[in-house]
Amino acid sequence: MAATKGTFAKLLAGACATLGVAATPSRASEVDTAALAYVEPDRVKALEMVIAANHDLGDGLLGRIKFVYDALTGASANGAVPVYDAVQTFTRPSGRGTYRIQPGDTPLDDTFRDARGALSAGLTKPLGRLTKLDFGVYGSGEHDYTSLGANAALSRDFQKRNRTVSLALSVNKDTISPEGGRPIPFAEMLSPSQTPQRLDGDGSKTVLDGILGVSQVIDRSTVVQVNYSVSVADGYQTDPYKVVSVVDPVTGLPTAQLYEHRPDKRTKHIVYGLLKRHLSRDVVELSYRFMSDDWGVTSHTADARYRLQLGGDPGTYLQPHLRWYRQEAADSYTPWLLDGETLPEFATADYRLGPMTAWTYGMKFGRPVGENRRVTFRLEYYRQTPDNPADAPGQLAQVDLLPPVSAVFAQVGFTTEF
Amino acid sequence: MTRRLLLGAALLAVIALTGCASMGVEPWERDLLARPAMALNDDPIALALDEHIYFSKEASTGGLGFGGGGCGCN
Repeated sequence: MAATKGTFAKLLAGACATLGVAATPSRASEVDTAALAYVEPDRVKALEMVIAANHDLGDGLLGRIKFVYDALTGASANGAVPVYDAVQTFTRPSGRGTYRIQPGDTPLDDTFRDARGALSAGLTKPLGRLTKLDFGVYGSGEHDYTSLGANAALSRDFQKRNRTVSLALSVNKDTISPEGGRPIPFAEMLSPSQTPQRLDGDGSKTVLDGILGVSQVIDRSTVVQVNYSVSVADGYQTDPYKVVSVVDPVTGLPTAQLYEHRPDKRTKHIVYGLLKRHLSRDVVELSYRFMSDDWGVTSHTADARYRLQLGGDPGTYLQPHLRWYRQEAADSYTPWLLDGETLPEFATADYRLGPMTAWTYGMKFGRPVGENRRVTFRLEYYRQTPDNPADAPGQLAQVDLLPPVSAVFAQVGFTTEF
Repeated sequence: MTRRLLLGAALLAVIALTGCASMGVEPWERDLLARPAMALNDDPIALALDEHIYFSKEASTGGLGFGGGGCGCN
Protein backbone atom coordinates (compact mmCIF):
# COMPACT_ATOMS: atom_id res chain seq x y z
CA MET A 1 0.00 0.00 0.00
CA ALA A 2 2.83 2.40 0.93
CA ALA A 3 4.49 1.80 -2.42
CA THR A 4 1.20 2.44 -4.23
CA LYS A 5 0.65 5.64 -2.32
CA GLY A 6 4.17 6.81 -3.06
CA THR A 7 3.87 6.05 -6.75
CA PHE A 8 0.55 7.83 -6.92
CA ALA A 9 1.92 10.88 -5.11
CA LYS A 10 4.80 11.05 -7.60
CA LEU A 11 2.41 10.79 -10.55
CA LEU A 12 0.21 13.54 -9.18
CA ALA A 13 3.19 15.70 -8.32
CA GLY A 14 4.27 15.33 -11.94
CA ALA A 15 0.85 16.38 -13.17
CA CYS A 16 0.87 19.37 -10.85
CA ALA A 17 4.35 20.34 -11.98
CA THR A 18 3.00 20.32 -15.54
CA LEU A 19 0.39 22.83 -14.39
CA GLY A 20 3.09 25.01 -12.89
CA VAL A 21 2.21 24.35 -9.29
CA ALA A 22 4.59 22.69 -6.85
CA ALA A 23 3.09 19.76 -5.00
CA THR A 24 3.64 19.29 -1.29
CA PRO A 25 3.97 15.87 0.33
CA SER A 26 0.90 13.64 0.19
CA ARG A 27 -1.73 13.70 2.91
CA ALA A 28 -4.88 11.94 1.65
CA SER A 29 -5.99 10.43 -1.62
CA GLU A 30 -9.05 8.96 -3.22
CA VAL A 31 -9.02 6.84 -6.34
CA ASP A 32 -12.19 6.11 -8.33
CA THR A 33 -12.30 3.48 -11.03
CA ALA A 34 -15.25 2.50 -13.17
CA ALA A 35 -16.09 0.43 -16.22
CA LEU A 36 -19.23 0.94 -18.25
CA ALA A 37 -20.68 -1.21 -21.00
CA TYR A 38 -23.20 0.40 -23.36
CA VAL A 39 -25.29 -1.55 -25.84
CA GLU A 40 -27.88 -0.42 -28.37
CA PRO A 41 -29.22 -3.62 -29.95
CA ASP A 42 -28.30 -3.69 -33.67
CA ARG A 43 -26.55 -0.30 -33.34
CA VAL A 44 -23.75 1.04 -31.13
CA LYS A 45 -21.72 -0.91 -28.59
CA ALA A 46 -19.25 0.85 -26.33
CA LEU A 47 -16.95 0.01 -23.46
CA GLU A 48 -15.73 2.87 -21.32
CA MET A 49 -13.13 2.79 -18.54
CA VAL A 50 -12.33 5.54 -16.09
CA ILE A 51 -9.68 6.09 -13.47
CA ALA A 52 -9.79 9.30 -11.47
CA ALA A 53 -7.81 10.40 -8.45
CA ASN A 54 -7.99 13.26 -5.99
CA HIS A 55 -5.11 14.08 -3.72
CA ASP A 56 -4.71 16.51 -0.82
CA LEU A 57 -1.44 18.30 -1.55
CA GLY A 58 -1.38 20.22 1.71
CA ASP A 59 -2.00 23.90 2.46
CA GLY A 60 -5.55 23.46 1.18
CA LEU A 61 -4.44 22.52 -2.33
CA LEU A 62 -6.40 19.68 -3.88
CA GLY A 63 -5.17 18.06 -7.08
CA ARG A 64 -7.10 15.80 -9.41
CA ILE A 65 -6.38 13.78 -12.49
CA LYS A 66 -8.63 11.62 -14.62
CA PHE A 67 -8.15 9.28 -17.55
CA VAL A 68 -10.97 7.92 -19.69
CA TYR A 69 -10.70 5.36 -22.46
CA ASP A 70 -13.59 4.20 -24.58
CA ALA A 71 -13.92 1.88 -27.51
CA LEU A 72 -16.98 2.13 -29.74
CA THR A 73 -18.21 0.05 -32.60
CA GLY A 74 -21.41 -0.60 -34.48
CA ALA A 75 -23.85 1.22 -36.70
CA SER A 76 -25.60 4.57 -36.58
CA ALA A 77 -28.39 6.13 -38.61
CA ASN A 78 -27.00 8.04 -41.60
CA GLY A 79 -30.08 10.27 -41.94
CA ALA A 80 -31.48 8.75 -45.13
CA VAL A 81 -35.08 7.53 -45.33
CA PRO A 82 -35.98 3.82 -45.60
CA VAL A 83 -37.45 2.38 -48.79
CA TYR A 84 -40.12 -0.24 -48.22
CA ASP A 85 -39.64 -2.43 -51.28
CA ALA A 86 -36.06 -1.99 -52.48
CA VAL A 87 -32.49 -2.49 -51.32
CA GLN A 88 -30.58 0.80 -50.95
CA THR A 89 -26.84 1.13 -51.48
CA PHE A 90 -24.76 3.86 -49.80
CA THR A 91 -21.11 4.84 -50.21
CA ARG A 92 -18.98 4.49 -47.11
CA PRO A 93 -17.60 7.76 -45.63
CA SER A 94 -14.12 6.89 -46.83
CA GLY A 95 -15.42 6.74 -50.40
CA ARG A 96 -14.12 3.18 -50.65
CA GLY A 97 -16.85 0.57 -50.83
CA THR A 98 -20.55 0.51 -50.11
CA TYR A 99 -23.06 -0.82 -47.59
CA ARG A 100 -26.52 -2.13 -48.39
CA ILE A 101 -29.77 -1.55 -46.53
CA GLN A 102 -32.60 -4.06 -46.76
CA PRO A 103 -36.17 -2.99 -47.75
CA GLY A 104 -37.99 -1.18 -44.95
CA ASP A 105 -34.90 -0.94 -42.72
CA THR A 106 -33.54 2.30 -41.27
CA PRO A 107 -30.32 3.13 -43.16
CA LEU A 108 -27.49 2.51 -40.69
CA ASP A 109 -23.85 3.16 -41.49
CA ASP A 110 -22.07 0.13 -40.03
CA THR A 111 -18.53 1.43 -40.53
CA PHE A 112 -18.44 3.13 -37.17
CA ARG A 113 -15.42 2.02 -35.12
CA ASP A 114 -13.40 4.25 -32.88
CA ALA A 115 -11.38 4.52 -29.69
CA ARG A 116 -11.04 7.65 -27.59
CA GLY A 117 -8.62 8.59 -24.85
CA ALA A 118 -9.20 11.62 -22.62
CA LEU A 119 -6.96 13.06 -19.93
CA SER A 120 -7.83 15.89 -17.57
CA ALA A 121 -6.11 17.39 -14.57
CA GLY A 122 -6.89 20.22 -12.22
CA LEU A 123 -6.14 22.01 -8.98
CA THR A 124 -8.29 23.65 -6.35
CA LYS A 125 -6.57 26.36 -4.35
CA PRO A 126 -8.00 28.30 -1.41
CA LEU A 127 -7.81 32.07 -1.58
CA GLY A 128 -8.42 32.99 2.01
CA ARG A 129 -10.96 31.35 4.29
CA LEU A 130 -14.09 31.57 2.12
CA THR A 131 -12.90 31.70 -1.48
CA LYS A 132 -11.58 28.96 -3.73
CA LEU A 133 -10.00 29.04 -7.15
CA ASP A 134 -10.11 25.99 -9.38
CA PHE A 135 -8.51 25.47 -12.72
CA GLY A 136 -8.06 22.53 -15.04
CA VAL A 137 -6.94 21.35 -18.44
CA TYR A 138 -8.42 18.74 -20.74
CA GLY A 139 -7.43 16.86 -23.86
CA SER A 140 -8.99 14.02 -25.80
CA GLY A 141 -8.30 12.30 -29.06
CA GLU A 142 -9.93 9.81 -31.37
CA HIS A 143 -8.99 8.95 -34.93
CA ASP A 144 -11.06 11.76 -36.49
CA TYR A 145 -11.58 14.16 -33.57
CA THR A 146 -9.35 16.09 -31.18
CA SER A 147 -10.46 18.30 -28.31
CA LEU A 148 -8.32 20.54 -26.09
CA GLY A 149 -9.69 22.65 -23.29
CA ALA A 150 -9.04 24.69 -20.18
CA ASN A 151 -11.36 25.85 -17.43
CA ALA A 152 -11.32 27.99 -14.32
CA ALA A 153 -13.81 28.55 -11.51
CA LEU A 154 -14.03 30.94 -8.62
CA SER A 155 -16.35 30.18 -5.69
CA ARG A 156 -17.08 32.01 -2.46
CA ASP A 157 -19.04 30.99 0.62
CA PHE A 158 -21.49 33.37 2.28
CA GLN A 159 -23.84 33.36 5.24
CA LYS A 160 -21.93 31.02 7.58
CA ARG A 161 -21.11 28.82 4.56
CA ASN A 162 -24.78 28.18 3.92
CA ARG A 163 -24.54 29.74 0.50
CA THR A 164 -21.91 29.27 -2.18
CA VAL A 165 -21.75 31.37 -5.31
CA SER A 166 -19.53 30.21 -8.14
CA LEU A 167 -18.55 31.45 -11.55
CA ALA A 168 -16.91 29.05 -13.97
CA LEU A 169 -15.51 29.57 -17.45
CA SER A 170 -14.25 27.07 -19.98
CA VAL A 171 -12.81 27.16 -23.48
CA ASN A 172 -12.48 24.20 -25.83
CA LYS A 173 -10.90 23.93 -29.25
CA ASP A 174 -12.09 20.94 -31.27
CA THR A 175 -10.78 19.69 -34.59
CA ILE A 176 -12.47 17.13 -36.81
CA SER A 177 -10.68 15.29 -39.60
CA PRO A 178 -13.44 13.12 -41.02
CA GLU A 179 -12.83 9.85 -42.76
CA GLY A 180 -12.85 10.67 -46.47
CA GLY A 181 -12.72 14.45 -45.87
CA ARG A 182 -15.44 17.04 -45.24
CA PRO A 183 -18.24 16.91 -47.82
CA ILE A 184 -19.34 20.14 -49.46
CA PRO A 185 -22.75 21.06 -47.97
CA PHE A 186 -25.60 19.56 -50.00
CA ALA A 187 -23.18 17.76 -52.32
CA GLU A 188 -24.65 14.51 -53.55
CA MET A 189 -23.36 11.21 -52.18
CA LEU A 190 -21.56 9.67 -55.14
CA SER A 191 -20.71 6.08 -55.94
CA PRO A 192 -17.18 4.90 -55.03
CA SER A 193 -16.14 5.08 -58.69
CA GLN A 194 -16.73 8.85 -58.79
CA THR A 195 -14.55 11.56 -57.25
CA PRO A 196 -16.38 13.16 -54.32
CA GLN A 197 -16.54 16.91 -53.72
CA ARG A 198 -14.79 17.87 -50.49
CA LEU A 199 -14.00 21.00 -48.48
CA ASP A 200 -10.35 21.84 -47.91
CA GLY A 201 -8.68 20.95 -44.63
CA ASP A 202 -10.02 19.91 -41.26
CA GLY A 203 -13.04 21.39 -39.54
CA SER A 204 -12.62 23.16 -36.22
CA LYS A 205 -14.76 24.88 -33.67
CA THR A 206 -14.25 26.88 -30.50
CA VAL A 207 -16.63 26.42 -27.59
CA LEU A 208 -16.89 28.95 -24.76
CA ASP A 209 -18.92 28.06 -21.68
CA GLY A 210 -19.83 30.08 -18.63
CA ILE A 211 -21.73 28.93 -15.56
CA LEU A 212 -23.05 31.05 -12.71
CA GLY A 213 -24.12 28.82 -9.85
CA VAL A 214 -25.61 29.21 -6.40
CA SER A 215 -26.03 26.50 -3.79
CA GLN A 216 -28.01 27.19 -0.66
CA VAL A 217 -28.59 25.22 2.53
CA ILE A 218 -32.29 25.56 3.30
CA ASP A 219 -32.42 23.70 6.61
CA ARG A 220 -30.66 20.88 8.46
CA SER A 221 -31.64 18.32 5.83
CA THR A 222 -32.19 20.27 2.60
CA VAL A 223 -29.87 21.84 0.07
CA VAL A 224 -30.65 23.35 -3.33
CA GLN A 225 -28.54 24.39 -6.29
CA VAL A 226 -29.39 26.63 -9.25
CA ASN A 227 -27.09 27.10 -12.25
CA TYR A 228 -27.39 29.35 -15.25
CA SER A 229 -25.12 28.44 -18.16
CA VAL A 230 -24.39 29.94 -21.52
CA SER A 231 -22.45 28.10 -24.20
CA VAL A 232 -21.28 29.53 -27.52
CA ALA A 233 -19.92 27.20 -30.19
CA ASP A 234 -18.36 28.79 -33.25
CA GLY A 235 -17.04 26.76 -36.18
CA TYR A 236 -17.73 23.58 -38.11
CA GLN A 237 -20.69 21.77 -36.54
CA THR A 238 -22.03 19.82 -39.50
CA ASP A 239 -21.91 16.03 -39.14
CA PRO A 240 -19.83 14.99 -42.16
CA TYR A 241 -21.22 11.45 -42.05
CA LYS A 242 -24.90 12.35 -42.28
CA VAL A 243 -27.10 12.85 -45.34
CA VAL A 244 -30.60 14.12 -46.08
CA SER A 245 -32.72 12.24 -48.59
CA VAL A 246 -34.34 14.17 -51.41
CA VAL A 247 -37.63 12.39 -52.09
CA ASP A 248 -40.22 12.48 -54.83
CA PRO A 249 -43.20 14.44 -53.45
CA VAL A 250 -45.68 11.87 -54.81
CA THR A 251 -44.02 8.48 -54.41
CA GLY A 252 -41.79 9.33 -51.41
CA LEU A 253 -38.93 7.45 -53.06
CA PRO A 254 -35.46 8.99 -52.68
CA THR A 255 -34.02 10.60 -55.79
CA ALA A 256 -30.70 11.70 -54.22
CA GLN A 257 -28.80 11.67 -50.92
CA LEU A 258 -27.29 15.08 -50.05
CA TYR A 259 -24.74 15.71 -47.32
CA GLU A 260 -26.25 17.78 -44.54
CA HIS A 261 -25.40 21.35 -43.54
CA ARG A 262 -25.71 22.94 -40.07
CA PRO A 263 -25.10 26.53 -38.96
CA ASP A 264 -21.57 27.42 -37.85
CA LYS A 265 -22.64 29.21 -34.69
CA ARG A 266 -24.74 27.92 -31.83
CA THR A 267 -25.57 29.68 -28.55
CA LYS A 268 -27.24 27.71 -25.76
CA HIS A 269 -28.82 28.96 -22.55
CA ILE A 270 -29.42 26.49 -19.76
CA VAL A 271 -31.07 26.74 -16.37
CA TYR A 272 -30.56 23.83 -13.99
CA GLY A 273 -32.02 23.29 -10.55
CA LEU A 274 -31.31 20.56 -8.00
CA LEU A 275 -32.90 19.75 -4.66
CA LYS A 276 -31.53 17.18 -2.21
CA ARG A 277 -33.28 16.30 0.99
CA HIS A 278 -32.25 13.90 3.72
CA LEU A 279 -35.26 12.06 5.07
CA SER A 280 -35.07 10.08 8.30
CA ARG A 281 -32.66 7.58 6.66
CA ASP A 282 -32.98 7.98 2.93
CA VAL A 283 -32.02 10.75 0.54
CA VAL A 284 -34.21 12.06 -2.26
CA GLU A 285 -32.76 14.03 -5.18
CA LEU A 286 -34.80 15.94 -7.77
CA SER A 287 -33.43 17.99 -10.64
CA TYR A 288 -34.73 19.86 -13.64
CA ARG A 289 -32.95 21.40 -16.63
CA PHE A 290 -34.29 23.71 -19.30
CA MET A 291 -32.27 24.39 -22.43
CA SER A 292 -32.93 26.75 -25.32
CA ASP A 293 -30.63 27.56 -28.21
CA ASP A 294 -30.58 29.69 -31.34
CA TRP A 295 -30.84 26.60 -33.52
CA GLY A 296 -34.43 26.42 -32.30
CA VAL A 297 -33.95 23.48 -29.95
CA THR A 298 -35.69 23.62 -26.59
CA SER A 299 -35.58 20.80 -24.07
CA HIS A 300 -36.75 19.80 -20.62
CA THR A 301 -34.98 17.21 -18.47
CA ALA A 302 -36.41 15.97 -15.17
CA ASP A 303 -34.47 13.52 -13.03
CA ALA A 304 -35.34 11.79 -9.76
CA ARG A 305 -33.27 9.51 -7.52
CA TYR A 306 -34.18 7.93 -4.22
CA ARG A 307 -31.34 6.57 -2.12
CA LEU A 308 -32.76 3.86 0.06
CA GLN A 309 -30.32 3.28 2.91
CA LEU A 310 -29.99 -0.38 3.81
CA GLY A 311 -27.25 0.22 6.39
CA GLY A 312 -25.45 3.06 8.12
CA ASP A 313 -24.10 5.96 6.06
CA PRO A 314 -21.85 5.48 4.13
CA GLY A 315 -23.38 2.05 4.07
CA THR A 316 -25.28 -0.19 1.79
CA TYR A 317 -27.91 1.43 -0.35
CA LEU A 318 -30.21 0.89 -3.29
CA GLN A 319 -31.00 3.83 -5.54
CA PRO A 320 -33.77 3.75 -8.15
CA HIS A 321 -33.50 6.39 -10.85
CA LEU A 322 -36.00 7.89 -13.28
CA ARG A 323 -35.22 10.43 -16.00
CA TRP A 324 -37.57 12.09 -18.49
CA TYR A 325 -36.38 14.12 -21.43
CA ARG A 326 -38.29 16.04 -24.08
CA GLN A 327 -36.83 18.09 -26.91
CA GLU A 328 -38.33 20.14 -29.72
CA ALA A 329 -36.65 20.17 -33.12
CA ALA A 330 -33.93 22.42 -34.45
CA ASP A 331 -35.11 24.78 -37.20
CA SER A 332 -32.82 23.03 -39.66
CA TYR A 333 -34.24 19.57 -38.91
CA THR A 334 -36.15 17.91 -41.70
CA PRO A 335 -36.60 14.13 -42.15
CA TRP A 336 -36.40 14.61 -45.93
CA LEU A 337 -36.24 17.29 -48.64
CA LEU A 338 -38.78 17.40 -51.46
CA ASP A 339 -37.51 17.05 -55.01
CA GLY A 340 -38.12 20.19 -57.07
CA GLU A 341 -38.15 22.56 -54.09
CA THR A 342 -35.43 25.14 -53.41
CA LEU A 343 -32.79 23.93 -50.96
CA PRO A 344 -32.91 25.65 -47.56
CA GLU A 345 -29.81 27.36 -46.14
CA PHE A 346 -29.38 24.56 -43.60
CA ALA A 347 -30.81 21.06 -43.37
CA THR A 348 -30.16 17.99 -41.27
CA ALA A 349 -32.10 14.75 -40.99
CA ASP A 350 -30.22 13.65 -37.87
CA TYR A 351 -33.07 12.49 -35.64
CA ARG A 352 -31.07 13.66 -32.60
CA LEU A 353 -31.95 17.21 -33.63
CA GLY A 354 -35.60 16.30 -34.17
CA PRO A 355 -38.51 16.21 -31.75
CA MET A 356 -38.29 13.30 -29.32
CA THR A 357 -39.11 12.01 -25.88
CA ALA A 358 -36.77 9.80 -23.88
CA TRP A 359 -37.03 7.88 -20.63
CA THR A 360 -34.33 6.32 -18.47
CA TYR A 361 -35.05 3.77 -15.77
CA GLY A 362 -32.16 2.80 -13.53
CA MET A 363 -31.10 1.07 -10.37
CA LYS A 364 -27.86 1.48 -8.46
CA PHE A 365 -26.49 -0.55 -5.60
CA GLY A 366 -23.62 0.55 -3.39
CA ARG A 367 -21.92 -0.92 -0.39
CA PRO A 368 -18.68 -0.62 1.55
CA VAL A 369 -16.11 -3.40 1.16
CA GLY A 370 -13.64 -3.22 3.97
CA GLU A 371 -12.27 -0.04 5.43
CA ASN A 372 -12.34 3.04 3.15
CA ARG A 373 -13.43 1.09 0.08
CA ARG A 374 -16.74 1.18 -1.70
CA VAL A 375 -18.18 -0.64 -4.65
CA THR A 376 -21.15 0.36 -6.80
CA PHE A 377 -23.15 -1.40 -9.51
CA ARG A 378 -25.77 0.19 -11.67
CA LEU A 379 -27.97 -0.78 -14.56
CA GLU A 380 -29.85 1.72 -16.71
CA TYR A 381 -32.36 1.25 -19.52
CA TYR A 382 -32.74 4.14 -21.94
CA ARG A 383 -35.38 4.50 -24.64
CA GLN A 384 -35.83 7.45 -26.95
CA THR A 385 -38.90 7.84 -29.13
CA PRO A 386 -38.64 10.35 -31.98
CA ASP A 387 -41.88 11.98 -33.18
CA ASN A 388 -42.77 10.59 -36.58
CA PRO A 389 -43.90 13.22 -39.11
CA ALA A 390 -47.60 13.09 -39.98
CA ASP A 391 -47.29 14.31 -43.57
CA ALA A 392 -45.04 11.63 -45.05
CA PRO A 393 -45.51 11.38 -48.82
CA GLY A 394 -46.00 8.12 -50.73
CA GLN A 395 -44.06 5.12 -49.52
CA LEU A 396 -42.73 7.00 -46.48
CA ALA A 397 -46.15 6.58 -44.89
CA GLN A 398 -45.66 2.80 -45.06
CA VAL A 399 -42.22 2.52 -43.41
CA ASP A 400 -41.08 2.88 -39.83
CA LEU A 401 -39.34 6.17 -40.51
CA LEU A 402 -37.97 6.95 -37.07
CA PRO A 403 -38.13 3.84 -34.88
CA PRO A 404 -37.51 4.11 -31.12
CA VAL A 405 -33.91 3.55 -30.04
CA SER A 406 -33.18 1.60 -26.87
CA ALA A 407 -29.96 1.20 -24.94
CA VAL A 408 -28.83 -0.64 -21.86
CA PHE A 409 -25.80 0.44 -19.90
CA ALA A 410 -24.20 -1.21 -16.92
CA GLN A 411 -21.48 0.19 -14.70
CA VAL A 412 -19.31 -1.16 -11.96
CA GLY A 413 -17.33 1.27 -9.84
CA PHE A 414 -14.73 0.94 -7.12
CA THR A 415 -13.51 3.71 -4.81
CA THR A 416 -10.53 3.54 -2.47
CA GLU A 417 -9.37 6.10 0.05
CA PHE A 418 -5.77 6.09 1.24
CA MET B 1 -36.34 33.79 -24.99
CA THR B 2 -32.69 34.76 -24.62
CA ARG B 3 -33.64 38.06 -23.01
CA ARG B 4 -35.86 36.26 -20.50
CA LEU B 5 -33.07 33.82 -19.66
CA LEU B 6 -30.61 36.66 -19.15
CA LEU B 7 -33.14 38.38 -16.90
CA GLY B 8 -33.48 35.13 -14.97
CA ALA B 9 -29.73 34.91 -14.60
CA ALA B 10 -29.55 38.49 -13.30
CA LEU B 11 -32.32 37.73 -10.83
CA LEU B 12 -30.47 34.63 -9.73
CA ALA B 13 -27.35 36.69 -9.09
CA VAL B 14 -29.28 39.23 -7.02
CA ILE B 15 -30.95 36.51 -4.96
CA ALA B 16 -27.59 34.81 -4.51
CA LEU B 17 -26.00 37.90 -3.08
CA THR B 18 -28.85 39.35 -1.06
CA GLY B 19 -31.76 36.97 -0.59
CA CYS B 20 -32.68 34.04 1.60
CA ALA B 21 -30.87 35.50 4.61
CA SER B 22 -33.08 33.57 7.00
CA MET B 23 -32.19 30.19 5.51
CA GLY B 24 -29.35 27.96 6.56
CA VAL B 25 -28.08 26.23 9.66
CA GLU B 26 -25.50 26.75 12.36
CA PRO B 27 -22.19 24.91 12.00
CA TRP B 28 -23.18 22.34 14.65
CA GLU B 29 -26.34 21.46 12.70
CA ARG B 30 -24.52 20.08 9.67
CA ASP B 31 -24.52 16.40 10.63
CA LEU B 32 -26.89 15.32 7.84
CA LEU B 33 -25.60 17.78 5.27
CA ALA B 34 -22.05 16.52 5.81
CA ARG B 35 -22.91 12.96 4.81
CA PRO B 36 -21.47 11.82 1.46
CA ALA B 37 -24.94 11.06 0.12
CA MET B 38 -25.86 14.74 0.54
CA ALA B 39 -23.02 16.05 -1.63
CA LEU B 40 -24.46 18.00 -4.57
CA ASN B 41 -22.63 15.62 -6.91
CA ASP B 42 -22.16 12.43 -4.93
CA ASP B 43 -21.06 10.28 -7.90
CA PRO B 44 -19.08 12.43 -10.36
CA ILE B 45 -17.83 9.46 -12.38
CA ALA B 46 -21.34 8.16 -13.10
CA LEU B 47 -22.54 11.69 -13.86
CA ALA B 48 -19.75 12.24 -16.39
CA LEU B 49 -20.41 8.87 -18.05
CA ASP B 50 -24.13 9.64 -18.29
CA GLU B 51 -23.49 13.12 -19.66
CA HIS B 52 -21.33 11.62 -22.40
CA ILE B 53 -24.07 9.15 -23.33
CA TYR B 54 -26.84 11.75 -23.42
CA PHE B 55 -24.57 14.17 -25.30
CA SER B 56 -24.25 11.57 -28.05
CA LYS B 57 -27.99 10.75 -28.18
CA GLU B 58 -29.74 14.08 -27.62
CA ALA B 59 -29.46 17.73 -28.69
CA SER B 60 -28.94 19.06 -25.16
CA THR B 61 -25.84 19.10 -23.01
CA GLY B 62 -24.45 20.99 -20.07
CA GLY B 63 -25.96 22.87 -17.20
CA LEU B 64 -24.26 20.90 -14.47
CA GLY B 65 -20.60 21.56 -15.21
CA PHE B 66 -18.02 21.07 -17.91
CA GLY B 67 -18.28 17.60 -19.36
CA GLY B 68 -15.12 17.68 -21.43
CA GLY B 69 -14.95 17.52 -25.17
CA GLY B 70 -14.66 14.82 -27.74
CA CYS B 71 -17.12 13.48 -30.18
CA GLY B 72 -18.20 9.86 -29.73
CA CYS B 73 -21.29 11.22 -31.35
CA ASN B 74 -22.47 8.32 -33.44
